[in-house]
Amino acid sequence: MKSFFSNTPIILLARIFLGGLFIAAGLDKITDVQAFANSILQYKVVGQLLSMCTATILPSLELLCGLSLIIGFYPRGCELLMTVMLVVFTMLIASALYRGLDISCGCFSQDPNVSKIGYQKILENCGLIILSVWLLLVRNQDINFLHIFRKQPEISR
Amino acid sequence: MKLRQSLHEAFLLIIAAVFLGAAYTFVTHQGFFLKTQAVQPAAASTMEMITLAAAKDLFESNNSIFIDARHEFDYQAGHIRGAVNIPLKMFDAQFTLLNKISKDKVLIVYCDGAECNSSIELAVKLTDSGFTNVKVFFGGWQEWNSAGLPIEK
Repeated sequence: MKSFFSNTPIILLARIFLGGLFIAAGLDKITDVQAFANSILQYKVVGQLLSMCTATILPSLELLCGLSLIIGFYPRGCELLMTVMLVVFTMLIASALYRGLDISCGCFSQDPNVSKIGYQKILENCGLIILSVWLLLVRNQDINFLHIFRKQPEISR
Repeated sequence: MKLRQSLHEAFLLIIAAVFLGAAYTFVTHQGFFLKTQAVQPAAASTMEMITLAAAKDLFESNNSIFIDARHEFDYQAGHIRGAVNIPLKMFDAQFTLLNKISKDKVLIVYCDGAECNSSIELAVKLTDSGFTNVKVFFGGWQEWNSAGLPIEK
């Protein structure tokens, strides 16, 4: 079991999966920053100024983290940020559910009528948190595309 | 040491994201650099909000059109009797239908209830399209249905 979790292709696939998810989430948000700011406002946690600041920075951060994780640039920083982001997202969704808000998640689509928040979304996020924490704790951070395509030095006999 | 490295990398990524986000929104005229007035909740203050009682009066007067801004799935599950479904994302596609409506007709836009913004956003789009008498029934479907007022499925 331990060898499964330290298996290089598994780690690489997990990084591609998590990175791809963040890229998909970031791309949707960055195409319509205003709609994303509206989605943030619906959580009724921050005001207009902070929602706009978040809508300006968060999509870029998600895209950067997703791309960086896949190519292997600053992997530890990416995994740390992804974990923190996922924990915050999950707390926000749980808080909105607790307050009885019937709003869309704003995670992968900014359509107000698509992907409403629910306990399923919290479970999905918990799975992603476990994945990101595992990647953060993996000892070998060199498992990525940069490492694969980097020319290995020839060993002289 | 690993935590320090992680924090250092995370800090640099955040700085990069701040610059990238600011540059992107500047170039594409979005967010803080929005040039034209787009749909935003602030527009809610300029829209006329009506209560359930007012919505009921307008419904009974038969001189207004109720517009359901929710997703088609929700509309099919139940809506205010006679309401037209124009989901926010389908606004452009429904433009031919809107052209048949007189610009000074009373339009009452609603969505799920007080916790959704699509009614306001649709109302702003309708106003921008030239409709002069657009009102938002903010209590929406939930309030109407709870009051036992006429619905259809």
